[in-house]
Amino acid sequence: MTALPLRSEILSGAVGRPRSAASSPIQLAGQRQQTLALGRQRLMTGLLLFCIAIGVLVLRLADLSLLQGRPTVGANRSTGAIPVRGDIYDRNNVELARTFEAYGIAVAPRKLVGNPRVLAEQIAAILPDKTVDGIYKELTARNSFRYISRRVLPEQAKRINDLGEPAITLEREPERLYPNLNLAAHVIGYAVDGVGKVGVEKAFDHRLSDPSTRGTPMHLSIDARVQQALESEMGAVLADQRAQGAAGIVLDVQTGEVLALASLPDFNPNAPGKSDPATRYNKVSYGVYELGSTFKTLTIAMALDTGVVTSMNQKYDATNPIRIAGFTIHDDHALRRPETIPEIFIHSSNIGTAKMAAELGRDRQRAYLDKLGFLKQAEIELPERASPHFPPLSNWGELATMTIGFGHGLSVSLVHLASAYAAVVNGGVLRPATLLKVEPGHAPAGTRVFSPGTSDTMRALLRLVVTDGTGRKADAPGYRVGGKTGTAEKLSGGRYSKHANVSTFAAAFPMDHPRYVVVTMIDDPQGSKATYGFRTAGMVIAPAVSRIVQRIGPILGVTPDVNKDVDVAALLSEIHDKAAE
Amino acid sequence: MASRAAPANSLTNSLSATLSRNNRSALGRWFWTIDRPLLVMVLMLIGCGALAVAAASPAAAHRYSGGTVVVGDLYYLKRQILWIIAGVPLMLAVSMLPIVWAKRLAIGGTAFCIVALMLVPILGHEANGATRWLQLPGFGFQPSEFLKPLFIVTTAWLLSARIEDPTMPTMQLSFLLLLVVAGLLVKQPDFGQTALFSAVWLAQAVLAGMGLSVIGILIVVAAGGIGVAYLFVPHVTSRIDRFITGGGDTYQIDRALDCFRAGGLFGTGPGEGRMKFKLPEPHTDYIFSVIGEEFGAIACMLLAILYLAIVIRVLLQLLDEEDPFIFLAAAGLVTQFGLQAAINMAVNLKLLPSKGMTLPFISHGGSSYLALAIGMGLLLALTRRNPFLKASPYARRWQAA
Repeated sequence: MTALPLRSEILSGAVGRPRSAASSPIQLAGQRQQTLALGRQRLMTGLLLFCIAIGVLVLRLADLSLLQGRPTVGANRSTGAIPVRGDIYDRNNVELARTFEAYGIAVAPRKLVGNPRVLAEQIAAILPDKTVDGIYKELTARNSFRYISRRVLPEQAKRINDLGEPAITLEREPERLYPNLNLAAHVIGYAVDGVGKVGVEKAFDHRLSDPSTRGTPMHLSIDARVQQALESEMGAVLADQRAQGAAGIVLDVQTGEVLALASLPDFNPNAPGKSDPATRYNKVSYGVYELGSTFKTLTIAMALDTGVVTSMNQKYDATNPIRIAGFTIHDDHALRRPETIPEIFIHSSNIGTAKMAAELGRDRQRAYLDKLGFLKQAEIELPERASPHFPPLSNWGELATMTIGFGHGLSVSLVHLASAYAAVVNGGVLRPATLLKVEPGHAPAGTRVFSPGTSDTMRALLRLVVTDGTGRKADAPGYRVGGKTGTAEKLSGGRYSKHANVSTFAAAFPMDHPRYVVVTMIDDPQGSKATYGFRTAGMVIAPAVSRIVQRIGPILGVTPDVNKDVDVAALLSEIHDKAAE
Repeated sequence: MASRAAPANSLTNSLSATLSRNNRSALGRWFWTIDRPLLVMVLMLIGCGALAVAAASPAAAHRYSGGTVVVGDLYYLKRQILWIIAGVPLMLAVSMLPIVWAKRLAIGGTAFCIVALMLVPILGHEANGATRWLQLPGFGFQPSEFLKPLFIVTTAWLLSARIEDPTMPTMQLSFLLLLVVAGLLVKQPDFGQTALFSAVWLAQAVLAGMGLSVIGILIVVAAGGIGVAYLFVPHVTSRIDRFITGGGDTYQIDRALDCFRAGGLFGTGPGEGRMKFKLPEPHTDYIFSVIGEEFGAIACMLLAILYLAIVIRVLLQLLDEEDPFIFLAAAGLVTQFGLQAAINMAVNLKLLPSKGMTLPFISHGGSSYLALAIGMGLLLALTRRNPFLKASPYARRWQAA
């Protein structure tokens, strides 16, 4: 009997499991009670927090339902004001967005005067996609308001109105129509109930809806034909590589005009609510990426411009990896010897570029990046603009200077990169990217970043990558394509992933007198038969760049000419063996 | 001494004290021991759910019809009724389990669901860029949903062992288990569920007497985790940016707010809503907005208060609970339930950035409905007690009499 617990222990719950009772029951029981008491205290705190949360919800409900105005859908009955919205055209007067006068046909069943069966038959005769029974059901519903059909054409709406049934109301639904469906969806964006929500529709909402300006259509810098070519080629790569996404931008290097901007997968702006939100994300202006080796172009240009590099046969020793602050910088195609400038560039040597960046120094590097607009939001009219990610000054030591030199540790958007490339090849002047058509002779003056001499040298170096380096598959006969590949490991969860990468190709053409920059990106390519399983930019996107240039060159009036080319002979003499790839 | 023969923690043996009720059948015992006010409130909630889905069904049907696909107006209501017919008996059956069997169900189920969760990346079914389902004949099985209540009860079991014997390293063990689950969820990726699992685990650990400094550190780590996700996961970045700046694409949430504005205090009346037709997921994530439009803000407030009442009822009952396992398990389950409801409502009201989270027992079902039923069944099983045998002063008085 003595083994049985005392009654007082039972009632206070002090009888534990045999395990705890085994050692020193009294002490443990006390501790257990203490823990439980603490738990109860905390439980009450939690309960209080939950009460507060529900209180906040109730207040918010009161705010929404009492203090804020009712939304005005259905207020524009047939006689009401029409919220028209300006049309949007591309640079060649191709319609991108227009307002289409549609009607919503609604019925107030309780106020019906006529015979619903007869009426249903009459309406069905006008609206071929509706059935008599379906309409009859709506007409006889026990509600005060039912839609019979939405987005009805004006002439059909008029015939329904002529039936003379007072319970049927025509609601003018000025529908925004994007006749090219998904084409340039991220540029145009969309409007809902007459208010721009995304893209140009949002950026120029005032211009498009203000009565004094909406009469004249807006002309964008976009060329629908170029846009179509870019989307179709990038779409083909996206499908072939089973990649997560693809993006591209075509920029006029003299004016900053965006001729095409594509982010795939895309969406249909006519029905934005039905699309997957992920497709509405603009990878060109709103996504930031570490763009890898495409950055080396900029580092070399900076080094040339400041006089850090004075001659093409200047050498940087890439024999051994650089060990700094616990990190190791090594080359993917290591030559293990001192390399000249063209060698560093076409072999894409991280070591060489890092040393060059270190010699350039943090302050000059930052000053150039600042001038190139890399330390602020991209300059483009879209509301969806990302801010770049870069280390704070306190953290921007020699290691950061080196890694940024070859494109790691700094994330920017494709718009940033395209504008910078335009400055590198156009003689050294940076102009903000714009989505508005620039009339000839009205290009902004821009700001000088590099000297014309630097720009000349960079053109030849970029051309060299395509004639003799990693970008050979981007060549398009006669179009003198130049460019730089970049394959960066993708950051996932804050770490570099060995399995996923972002491949970029930043190109310009024709290199002897550059007119257009084409920057393309593939997010997480998987490799395919066509690329022999490779996932590097040189294999994955370079062929697409070649096809894009061949498709848009004729449209943009660039004549292919196999006899014209940049003279790269001087650079070739500095290359002591053929490129690794 | 009758009381000596009745071990305090055992509900099954409490029959001796209920003899006066004259009903010895299993059903009778269940009826007299179940927390009836809680059961009534849950059934009210399920009823409200049927009404709400009835209101949202035509909007969802409109949304998913198009071209040759025609979804009937009441398709989702009919489905919801089927889910209720399956879910309520499941809930009641689980609520009849003795504590020891509830514990076994939870531990076995947790192991099973974690294995299923590991299989998802291999055999899973992809939708909207995330792989979360295993396609079984007839319906999609989402292991993470079923894991939720089972994992909470398992956590409670582990943590309570530590209260019984502080030398047991079970808190570390359960944290390890959480890390495994969180890792699997992040991989899908499903950040919303990860946050919910972690938050409930943290609440349980705090109730189990976790030190304040550890709590502080974990909160800092969690904030850091969100920060990292913000910096490096573009999808998360855009959602949070949109929420903070109101910039970018706020289409969905603006439609939800329009519903509340249109509804006013009393709503437009059942079937009269118009804004609901523009909602993205009227029958699941945004059903609270549909209620707001058709039944009005007062109905929404009452619904929020009903959730609050359920939480209060359970927590107050727990105040005199002496079994640490029951205390932690029930508190965890009700935290999950309340938190999920509060987050969903807050998202609908644009107080939090959008998260794919449903409103418990109100949103249109799917396999998550059955998971909810299991969770609520476990809660009902855990809170069953002999109304005359409890460690409160009132019970003592009765026994003394």
